[in-house]
Amino acid sequence: MARHRLTVVLSQAQGKNPAKRALEESIAAALIMEPGLDVSIIPYLYDLGPDHTGRLFLESVKGDMVVLSWLFPRAAYWLLDRIGVKGHFGESQLKPPADVDEEDEEAGEPEPPKGIGAVGVPDRQICCLDLRDFKSHEPYVEEVTRIAQECRERREAMPKTNGTAALVQLGVVLRAEEPPAPEPRFAPEQLLKAPERRWYPVIDYSRCTNCMECIDFCLFGVYGVDQLDRLFVENQDSCKKGCPACSRVCPEQAIMFPDHKTPAIAGAPGGAVSGLKIDLTRLFGGGDAIAIAAAERDRELVADGRQAVGLTVGIPKRQADKVQQPKDDLDKLTDALDALDI
Amino acid sequence: MPDDLTFLMGKFPAVLPGGLRYARNHMWCRTEEDRHRFGFTSYAVRLMQDVYFLDWSLGDGDEVHLLQEIGHIETSKAESDLFAPLAGTIVLFNRELLKDPTPINLDVYGSGWLFEMAGDAAGLMTVTDYHQFLAENWEKTQRMIKGKINED
Repeated sequence: MARHRLTVVLSQAQGKNPAKRALEESIAAALIMEPGLDVSIIPYLYDLGPDHTGRLFLESVKGDMVVLSWLFPRAAYWLLDRIGVKGHFGESQLKPPADVDEEDEEAGEPEPPKGIGAVGVPDRQICCLDLRDFKSHEPYVEEVTRIAQECRERREAMPKTNGTAALVQLGVVLRAEEPPAPEPRFAPEQLLKAPERRWYPVIDYSRCTNCMECIDFCLFGVYGVDQLDRLFVENQDSCKKGCPACSRVCPEQAIMFPDHKTPAIAGAPGGAVSGLKIDLTRLFGGGDAIAIAAAERDRELVADGRQAVGLTVGIPKRQADKVQQPKDDLDKLTDALDALDI
Repeated sequence: MPDDLTFLMGKFPAVLPGGLRYARNHMWCRTEEDRHRFGFTSYAVRLMQDVYFLDWSLGDGDEVHLLQEIGHIETSKAESDLFAPLAGTIVLFNRELLKDPTPINLDVYGSGWLFEMAGDAAGLMTVTDYHQFLAENWEKTQRMIKGKINED
């Protein structure tokens, strides 16, 4: 009987794309048959609010975890980190099929992370798989099985630190190879209750250097500083839906908006990911240049009945090799005068 | 009222009702009193095919400028941001579509409507102008679509 169990969480897509739903279902069906796995299905991870049962469930999981979602693994991992579901980033061996137009300039030289990293990470692994990588369930099932095996070996190699497992077994009639019954408070209908759609940034602390440019830039009070003086997304729901401006400003590309259509903003592993679908944005009226962060922010300011600030507030000056100096009030004043265009 | 026109996209006839006006971003407009109701033209729907997911980044009553980004759509063939066809106020979004976007495909000029706006709609095209606009851009559009598909 497998002593160590791996929790597998399948986070559904938003909307009703039948192909996505079918993939989710076939993965779940295949994994439920595997011994040693506890499989749960929750709605779209990014949308789960603090009170959603799916989130309470995630918080209750203490051991190793595999999370399959329609999000880039980096986004899913740091999203979980923000809600206190922490662990070591489990490396997946699942690699998306190579793109035909693979012109990855950055490939080859992985830089060591220069971010401030996560804190309070317990000794367990969280491995996030992207459901957009493959169209069939087999690669996922294979990878989850492999991860389960790896986790089991890792646990067995570790010194046993507690004996609670044995105590729990006392007096219990020997169970067959059945998984333990799911906790009643996580009834499937509650777990799957459709959440409201949300929009907020997710910080990748392996990249974030705590430079605070995002705090300076965002004028909606989304960002704050925790007790350890680390930047964090304090007021997620103060964020302006659709606005990814701060992620364009971040010098380390540490800010992700997992639902943004641009892969680099949504947490893609670095290089561009080729879209499988036609982008009709130009045809439907989109401009050809990337919207400037300040314009996006102005739009939100005006929508809030506030003054547009253009490039006068919180815009980092990032000329090549220029030593960064924090702006003082005089700088801001002169910038504001410049922007008046008189 | 002008006659309905049909624009041939390859073999597919995109029907363009004569009683509507059209925006360059491939939305139709039906004006009743001071409200302009917008939806995707059958030309746009044919390009996108089955709509899977629709999302608005604004709410009812929000003011927009012309071609401001207002939402996003995912379909079986395409993805796109969506943009305001007019400057003005978005009075009302069709909430039904958030639950189930299939009316966009099934009832293009009816229950598949997207939102209602208040604003100056003088810049919209007549059916004849829109038909001509489609004809002039058809070559380019095909090239764009093929280019994208070849990239995969």
